[in-house]
Amino acid sequence: MRKFRIVLAGHGTLPAALLATTELICGPVADAAAVGLEPTESPDHYTESLRDAIGHDGRRVLVLCDLLGGTPFNVASAIARRSPRVVCISGTSLAIAVEAALADGDLDDALVERLLEVGRSGIVETERHRARRAS
Amino acid sequence: MRNDRMSLRLVRIDDRLIHGQVVAGWLRALGAQRIVIVDDATAADEFLREVLSLAAPPGVPVEVLDLVGGAARCIDLAASQEPVIVLARSPRTVLALRQAGVPIEVVDLGGLGAGPGRRRLHRTISVSADELAELRELEQLGTRVEIRIVADDRPIALRSLDPAR
Repeated sequence: MRKFRIVLAGHGTLPAALLATTELICGPVADAAAVGLEPTESPDHYTESLRDAIGHDGRRVLVLCDLLGGTPFNVASAIARRSPRVVCISGTSLAIAVEAALADGDLDDALVERLLEVGRSGIVETERHRARRAS
Repeated sequence: MRNDRMSLRLVRIDDRLIHGQVVAGWLRALGAQRIVIVDDATAADEFLREVLSLAAPPGVPVEVLDLVGGAARCIDLAASQEPVIVLARSPRTVLALRQAGVPIEVVDLGGLGAGPGRRRLHRTISVSADELAELRELEQLGTRVEIRIVADDRPIALRSLDPAR
């Protein structure tokens, strides 16, 4: 059983869609939330929304962000730098979200490394991927 | 002929400083490999400086400078021809840079949030009366003031929206 919360953070409707799509693949995802940044929303307001989604119960939280340098990531990484229970990843793909949703146990270094690797290894171009697999 | 080589190509006013529109759009559009932020409050806050440096892609250094240091740095960068993005939170900072001798061809209004006492000029761009006066002063100093939220937008000249004109 997963022992941490997942918060999907990103621009517009992407986080909600990513959560819904993750659930298409792995069934209902417990203890997860999606927080989308609206075009006119201020960073301060988004910070409040993200803090609410992260919760104040001391649980560990994995925040999966869409874009390095985007406001959702900037806000999440500012929170993560100040609270060790929060881990923030950017460049989230469906593969990363699924891996996180299906994770068992704690949000530890090994899991974070695995999520980063799942993200990187999921980026391929068919011809190059085929050539590599054939060799 | 515009004096492209001796002036900063783009100084952007954006109260969020670095965010998605900047990293995903403007860096690429300008071919910039460096971000310079001029903001006294941010320069004095080590935590904010670190968070902003985390916001840039790998290989793109972020310099956060106060007004005095920023003006000197911008003058050097304008002469160097290196494509950079200069970011400030407010028109006041850009006016001060201009008055300190930084050659600025265009100021881009990229993000200025709404709020009490602020007039909405266009989509996500609102200004206070003071800010509008500072922007007009920049125009009088020969700097074009344009609204251009993302690089693909057609620039909208401030003078075409300015209620006093």
